[in-house]
Amino acid sequence: MPLFGPKTKSPQELVKSLNDCLKALENAKEKESKRYVEETSKLLHTIKTQLYGTLDQEPVTEQVAALATELTQANCLHNLAKNLQYIDFEGRKDVVAIFNNVLRRQIGPRHPCMDYFVTKPEVLFILVKGYENQDIALNCGMMLRECCRFEPLAKSVITSPDFYKFFAYVEVSTFDIASDAFSTFKDLLTRHKVFVAKFLEEHYDEFFRHYQLLLNSENYVTRRQALKLLGELLLDRHNFTVMNRYISHPDNLKLMMNMLREKSKNIQFEAFHVFKIFVANPNKPKPIMDILLRNKERLVDFLTKFHTERSEDEQFNDEKSYLIKQIKELRGAEENMS
Amino acid sequence: MSLLSCACGNKETKKRRAKNISTASIGSKDGSPKTAQTEQQPQEGEEEVEEDMEQIDAAQVQPDPLQYELYAVIGKGHSNISTITLAKNTATDSLVAVKRVNLELWPGELRYLQNEMAFTQMLSHRNVLPFYCSFISGQELWAVMPLMAFGSCRDLIHAYFTSGLPELAIKLIMRDVIAAVDYLHYRWVIHRGIKASHVLISKSGRVCLSGLHNAFYTIQNGQRLRTVHDFPLHAADCVHSYSPELLEQNLAGYSFNSDVYSLGILLCELANGQAPFADLPATAMLLEKMKGTKPHLADSTTVSEFVIDEDAEYPPAEGMEDQPTSSQERADAIFFKRTFAPQLHDLAAACLERDPHHRPTAGQLLHHPVFKSIKNCASSVLPSQLQPVTPLTDQSNIPKDLTMDDDDFSRKMSEVSMLEDWVF
Repeated sequence: MPLFGPKTKSPQELVKSLNDCLKALENAKEKESKRYVEETSKLLHTIKTQLYGTLDQEPVTEQVAALATELTQANCLHNLAKNLQYIDFEGRKDVVAIFNNVLRRQIGPRHPCMDYFVTKPEVLFILVKGYENQDIALNCGMMLRECCRFEPLAKSVITSPDFYKFFAYVEVSTFDIASDAFSTFKDLLTRHKVFVAKFLEEHYDEFFRHYQLLLNSENYVTRRQALKLLGELLLDRHNFTVMNRYISHPDNLKLMMNMLREKSKNIQFEAFHVFKIFVANPNKPKPIMDILLRNKERLVDFLTKFHTERSEDEQFNDEKSYLIKQIKELRGAEENMS
Repeated sequence: MSLLSCACGNKETKKRRAKNISTASIGSKDGSPKTAQTEQQPQEGEEEVEEDMEQIDAAQVQPDPLQYELYAVIGKGHSNISTITLAKNTATDSLVAVKRVNLELWPGELRYLQNEMAFTQMLSHRNVLPFYCSFISGQELWAVMPLMAFGSCRDLIHAYFTSGLPELAIKLIMRDVIAAVDYLHYRWVIHRGIKASHVLISKSGRVCLSGLHNAFYTIQNGQRLRTVHDFPLHAADCVHSYSPELLEQNLAGYSFNSDVYSLGILLCELANGQAPFADLPATAMLLEKMKGTKPHLADSTTVSEFVIDEDAEYPPAEGMEDQPTSSQERADAIFFKRTFAPQLHDLAAACLERDPHHRPTAGQLLHHPVFKSIKNCASSVLPSQLQPVTPLTDQSNIPKDLTMDDDDFSRKMSEVSMLEDWVF
């Protein structure tokens, strides 16, 4: 055993080496890249261990702070995200752990790393694009969801044209990637409610034109999850204006009525929760009223037999009885005249 | 009863990712990289399939239900909601296992299944069962994974080894499972579901740990948890393998060494043919564990303890009482006749320490003396130890599953009739 072991690298040196490695990796030819992959992996492991400690060793607070500052300021997190596909399997997981740790770091009320990303939002779009590469999709998803916890970063994503890419990502045939993309999509739309309500009002047509495709998807899970999220969005009081607009369109009502009759019990049930808003609306526009009137008998009959096995679910049964009562009492203009 | 019945929840990691790790295994603390290499080349059947899949995965194995011909159901999982079906991938002409979950019948949140998939995708170790791809077919989630031709250890016990597996097999299996657990712990994951039905064996003797649906990642919100208080959501079928501190659910919480306790329970299950306390009601099992009752491996050195135990409040730990006397006697006779190596008893005792801090870590267990005797023994020896049970290698005499086509047809029919009803 040597008396004086090799000097451990300072945070600055570590981050510098990592940045150099990433740069080399990006430009490396096939042959030399292996060396850099290994080197990167080693550095990532060292950094992760310093940030999180090991099973029997706590991290050193000063070291962690210095490392986090350096990783942010030297643009290293950005470089990591950009070159994620060149990093090996275990290394990528270390990147996620490092990224999420640094992003969460707080100095008083400030989040230095978040503040940095606000000025350099490119990293967000690198992560969004990550969903297109199945080797790194899940890693990118984990980092992106962490970013979306912060309203300024979530705003950047939602208001960018890239946001509409999610409508394609949630439908990819690979289940684990599609469902991860859906989690992120859902987080984006439900976490910062005031902002999202404003966004949906301003971009109503474009958003729901895209959303319609999800509701009509061939993919059972996409359809089911999109319908459930739609119910959650419309019933959230922040989205009152959006809801009012949604339930004024007869096409939306038709879609929900058809979905009430889908083979899948789960889809029927989710559709019920959107359908009920149309019926409960005290100011139904004429086209909506007309459809309900034309199907009055059928609807009463249908709802009476609808999901009778849910006898335990009191709220559901109350809502169902309420709907049946409402529909029975519907009176149209023609009826009043005759 | 089918050889492969009752495998519970076969889970996976990704094969194509294995490629990455084999080129650069930095940071992966694979217990036996040398064995891995020497073994993967000469194997036939199962291993060959994997090699194939590895090379052509991106190009040919598509997440497309039409690429799979389904044969018989070879196992069940998730309290029977999912089925494991033998299938042939027509693009590669190779046998695979497809786990199918009918999402319409799935009681909980879909999120739980998604987490499980994501978890397995993020792991890559030769002793953790990978999966090739997952996709939606109709109302079902399909996860395609390598065919583990010997089924789970639970199946083996069920099919033939009712009084436990041979000692060499136990050692080989434990070594590989511990390697997998060590990998998980090193990656800061607690498995929380180690039991015989989650330990699967391939045709060539490769042992894979599956059942990651209760796994817990101890890094949350960018911080590492020192102790965990989360109780697994779907734990009903795993409680018997849980450690006392996990079951207690008190403020002290639990940590990685909870898995080590489960390894001890697994060892008993493999050796005795039944998990300790398996026949006790959950509350009684909990009391026994909290009291610090240490389960044993049943052999000539310990079987007398079981006899004495008979007057105790609860039936003896190994719980052979409820079985008919004849098989009880038979089991006793087997227990009396055999003697496990003292190191194997020692391994069980070390894992099953009541105080979690007294248990060795998974990494330390890998160097336990019991594994010295099998140091040069590759897993390919395992199949010979499992005779007369034979692996499932040929689908030719297994009936094809035609229910999918029927389902599809009836679904289309019902959709046609449904859309006509409203008047718009």
